[in-house]
Amino acid sequence: MTNYTFAAASQNNAGRLQEGPQKARGKSPRKGPSRTGAAGAIVAIGIFTFLPIYWLVTTAVVPDAEAYSFPARLWPGTVTLSHFRTFFSNSEFLRYFINSAIVSVITAVLAVVVATYCAYSLSKFEYRGRKSLLYMFLGSQLFPHVLLIVTLYQLYNTLGLLNTYIGLVLAFSSFTLPLCIFTLRAFFNALPTELIEAAKIDGASHWTIIHRIVLPLVRPALVTAGLYAFIISWNDFIFALTLSGPRTRTLPTGLVETYIGQFQRGWGDLMAASLVVSMPTVIIFLFMQRHLISGALAGAVKA
Amino acid sequence: MSRVIAAPRGRWSRGLTDPQVGLLLVLPAVILFSAVVLYPLGRTLVDSLFRDNLLSSSQKWVGLDNITHVARTTFVGDLVRTSIFTAAVTVLAFVLGLGLALALNVRFRGRSLLRGLFLMPWVVPSVATSFLWVYIFDTNYGPLNGLLVRLHIVDQGVSWLGQPNTAMIAIVIARAWTAFPWLMVIFLAALQTVPADLYEAAEVDGAGRWRRFRAITLPWLKPVMYLALLLEIAWNFQHLDTMYIITSGGPARSTTTFSLDVYQQAFSAYDIGNAAAIGVLWMAVLSVFLILYLRVLDKRVDE
Repeated sequence: MTNYTFAAASQNNAGRLQEGPQKARGKSPRKGPSRTGAAGAIVAIGIFTFLPIYWLVTTAVVPDAEAYSFPARLWPGTVTLSHFRTFFSNSEFLRYFINSAIVSVITAVLAVVVATYCAYSLSKFEYRGRKSLLYMFLGSQLFPHVLLIVTLYQLYNTLGLLNTYIGLVLAFSSFTLPLCIFTLRAFFNALPTELIEAAKIDGASHWTIIHRIVLPLVRPALVTAGLYAFIISWNDFIFALTLSGPRTRTLPTGLVETYIGQFQRGWGDLMAASLVVSMPTVIIFLFMQRHLISGALAGAVKA
Repeated sequence: MSRVIAAPRGRWSRGLTDPQVGLLLVLPAVILFSAVVLYPLGRTLVDSLFRDNLLSSSQKWVGLDNITHVARTTFVGDLVRTSIFTAAVTVLAFVLGLGLALALNVRFRGRSLLRGLFLMPWVVPSVATSFLWVYIFDTNYGPLNGLLVRLHIVDQGVSWLGQPNTAMIAIVIARAWTAFPWLMVIFLAALQTVPADLYEAAEVDGAGRWRRFRAITLPWLKPVMYLALLLEIAWNFQHLDTMYIITSGGPARSTTTFSLDVYQQAFSAYDIGNAAAIGVLWMAVLSVFLILYLRVLDKRVDE
């Protein structure tokens, strides 16, 4: 039976939960908590996890009159879509949605393109400073991004990049780029060098090797990294809040600007809006779960 | 993980050696990164040495005055609050994440589905989750108070966000709720790699569940836990979204962390020098974790 190292397992199996040889002997409950213990933990943590989501959804579909009764009812009485109608009838929100989409897509594409070459280099090449560069990118995960915003705001103000898409895209790169680099690097590490060696012996140039041989092989990784970057960009609000303007405002920012401080009325509207804002990332996640999880593992912990 | 062997000069890629190609490939990433990360970080250090207003373009050199001023006034408070927040969130997220991972490690049908569902809090945009928790913690109409009153745990709604201590508890819970799924995924993936033979051998030797956990599971997980712990601490130490939306640092600065302080100093008080000074000290504290992190990387990144 193979002894998986964490690294190998993460790359190969992380997307799928393992059901393989380890379990063949049939003594599954013995390796950890008992079945009841496990069930208990799942129920308890499940309540903690899903009760808020339940509240989110029910409040979004319940008319205000009901929401503002106290104590709040456990079960929704009447259901209404009026809060969603409020959201969609607001043309501002539609514009924010489009802005979010534009910025997130461009950011993802830029991050993946730049990160691919970078990750390939960090994985497959030898040169002085390679390690330092790697540490630089990895270390940036630990640094306060808020600080970046302060300077970027001033810089953008001077350069006229406030309220522009390109400004947002570049700013988002500060966190999407390192992320894509790690994710892709892990995939490149797993790529056997023999392929590349063979191609070199055949006289292929690096350009050919990268674009004809390597890239097609890592296509799923590119998709994973891109989706990951998209999600992170879509979800950001602090960068967008500071660096966007009326023309480029993104959805999370719009949500914050509209509702912050306005808590005394419109919980239903707010919850419905929050739901809609979450939809793209949740949907992407549900469909691409496996890829995203293995990508997340590769990027964050495998270094 | 083998490296591409350096090739004789001149045969590959238009006369460039392999190392040169490698450097060329990382160039775009390095340029982008320098522009949006390195430059702002460096500029922050410089900015801290000046008295500078966001709205005006004049600066005045003050040397270390800003930094010493911050060190004497707001630094300790921020440090305490940020540390409390970080410690509480990290511990809570760890317990939940590890507990759930152990529970999900027990094999049963629908496990993958459950894992995906439990990731929801992490996938949903922070804007949405933060607003959700504002609603949940609302004194008069929040479902949490509703639940507590119904269960006769309290007589009337607790003013969660209106009191310093409970406000901190609120943001800790809100943040831990979004943070634990990521840890759960990491731990679950690591748990999947533990060879079943180890457990079976231990069982044959008469080791009980708890003993097996302590002697096999924990040591196996240690490297992963250490890395995850470092990252989680670093991220929580710079977290902003949750407190920005839920409490805005209040009441009375009781939930003001470094991140919020910097942001408010820069964009509400327009005091760039002060914001930068806070940032410098903040980075100083964070660099401790950075060094620890780089040390871990050194051991793993040896390829």
